[in-house]
Amino acid sequence: MPHRIINWIDQRFPLTSFVKHELTGYPTPRNLSYWWNFGFLAGFVLVLQVATGIFLAMHYKADIALSFDSIQHIMRDVNYGWLLRYMHSTGASAFFLVIFIHMARTLYYGSYRAPRELLWWTGQGLLLLLMATAFMGYLLPWGQMSFWGATVITNLFRATPFFGDQVVIWLRGDYMVGDATLSRFFALHYLFPFLIIGAVVVHLVALHTVKSSNPSGIDLADKDNIPFHPYFTAKDFYGLGLFLIVYSVFVFFIPDSLIEPANNIPANPMQTPNHIVPEWYFLPFYAILRSVPNMVGGVVAMGLSVMIFAFMPYLDRSRIPGGAHFRPVYRGLFYIFAVDMLLLGYIGYIPPTDTSIMVGQWGTALYFGMFLVLPFASKAEERWLMKRGLPPQVEALIASEEKEKLKIKNRHRKGGAA
Amino acid sequence: MSKLITLLLLSCISIPSLASEAKLENIQVMTDVQTVERGAEALMTDCHSCHSLKYIRYRDLVNYGVDKGKVDAWRGDLSMDAAVMAQMAEADSELAFGKAPPDLSLIAKAREGGASYIYSYLVGYFISSDGMPGNHYFPETKMPDVLGISGASNEKERAEIQSKARDIVAFMVWAADPNGPERIRLGYYVIAYLIVLTTLLYFVKNQVWSRLK
Repeated sequence: MPHRIINWIDQRFPLTSFVKHELTGYPTPRNLSYWWNFGFLAGFVLVLQVATGIFLAMHYKADIALSFDSIQHIMRDVNYGWLLRYMHSTGASAFFLVIFIHMARTLYYGSYRAPRELLWWTGQGLLLLLMATAFMGYLLPWGQMSFWGATVITNLFRATPFFGDQVVIWLRGDYMVGDATLSRFFALHYLFPFLIIGAVVVHLVALHTVKSSNPSGIDLADKDNIPFHPYFTAKDFYGLGLFLIVYSVFVFFIPDSLIEPANNIPANPMQTPNHIVPEWYFLPFYAILRSVPNMVGGVVAMGLSVMIFAFMPYLDRSRIPGGAHFRPVYRGLFYIFAVDMLLLGYIGYIPPTDTSIMVGQWGTALYFGMFLVLPFASKAEERWLMKRGLPPQVEALIASEEKEKLKIKNRHRKGGAA
Repeated sequence: MSKLITLLLLSCISIPSLASEAKLENIQVMTDVQTVERGAEALMTDCHSCHSLKYIRYRDLVNYGVDKGKVDAWRGDLSMDAAVMAQMAEADSELAFGKAPPDLSLIAKAREGGASYIYSYLVGYFISSDGMPGNHYFPETKMPDVLGISGASNEKERAEIQSKARDIVAFMVWAADPNGPERIRLGYYVIAYLIVLTTLLYFVKNQVWSRLK
């Protein structure tokens, strides 16, 4: 009977072939390490955020007179409302952590290289959508930091040429962040996750066209690819278990460590908090914004600091496979960049002083300097490595890739389908 | 790469605040029923005339296990479902102190340093050499030294006031997050369950991968 049902569906909808093509027969490099787990985890957190968010929206009131109280209503009166809310607020941080690791893996192993540029750029678009969603969601509790964070960030659009002031009013729906802003941010905070889901589908279509990259940095021979299911479903679910343990420690034991104390005070437009800090995942970019003395320059630098990753396929000119593993210079740059990110994050967190501003400026210069130096450094590194003689492993990788390319060419010539 | 994840994890841990000048006296509070009840009693006597706790209803206290007779005495003829509002009208206290006293329901979460800050503040009053009252942690405070720590003449009296302040803070910690104890209790079960589940998933993964040559 089940067989007949499947047959019935297959005549009308490509169910079996879809499952075969995208899951049970989808070829995945067998050498993927656990760093390749994080895309799946990001997908999981997205589902978690949508699921908890929908239930929170059932109890939340998007009205400046009611929203702060409605959060307390969720925390105190709604059955397990505190769990929903803490899962959602922790989930936002988890989402960024997972995405940052996912991006760091791409950078470390050079997964952005041809033919995966579009995959990387759709990911870049997803990062922007995620940032917008998180920013708008942060206004909803209507605490002090919500209000002042939204005020500071919407104010940045004043940097728009010619009609900056109008853009700010258009975004806020009012001359200052108020009820109109809260209502529209709520509406958009509910909409954007569905745009993200759409963009994730595009990201996955691109992924399934070019297939996963792998630590070796070359396209593996057919025999080194294994079906996604059951091998990587099993591996991803084990990774998910580990992730959930860390996530649950935050949700159940230290959920308030991810919420600024000042956000437990209702928004008060008459009283500016001592210092306004964004959530941790925006801190490095916020530090870059603050380290440029001119506002327009700061906004441009901040925008560029997020968007500059899109240029990676062209900035990295080395052809050595294996990611940073066989590339000592690139590996060094990678770790310096990671440390610089942390430094900028810290600078973004502390109240600005003369020293911290100066350190922030050096950090910003280093941040952009890395991207400027990369085209030359990567080429020079390649030349140096070639001259010194590549390690036998790399030679073997390059040779096997050549062989594979030849095989594919022959197959095409014969007209046989893969 | 393993270095990177340690660094990323470190960056999530909130960096201690640099805001207040005086060093906080770090305390750990217990939110067991007895402590919370003692704290509620002290708060009703010393704080409730000016401060409200609008997110706490008298019924919440009874539900947590505070003696019903005491709660009845505190609420007078107010309903069990009434919020714990200040006895003094907000306008009057603004007139008297120049500033409306803050609501205390969330205060333990709303200050950098949390319980330790509030405790340090409550016992941080002093009389300066020229006879002016002051507070080490919040110099511009409008609140008088209600617990009387600055007037305490001996160690015994000081210790009594400190233990009272501790109880009040414990009550505030509970009031800021009444589901906290349940959250932590549930948390142990969730983590234990996840560890078992993850171990099983690990074996499943090994089993599946062992089919590969």
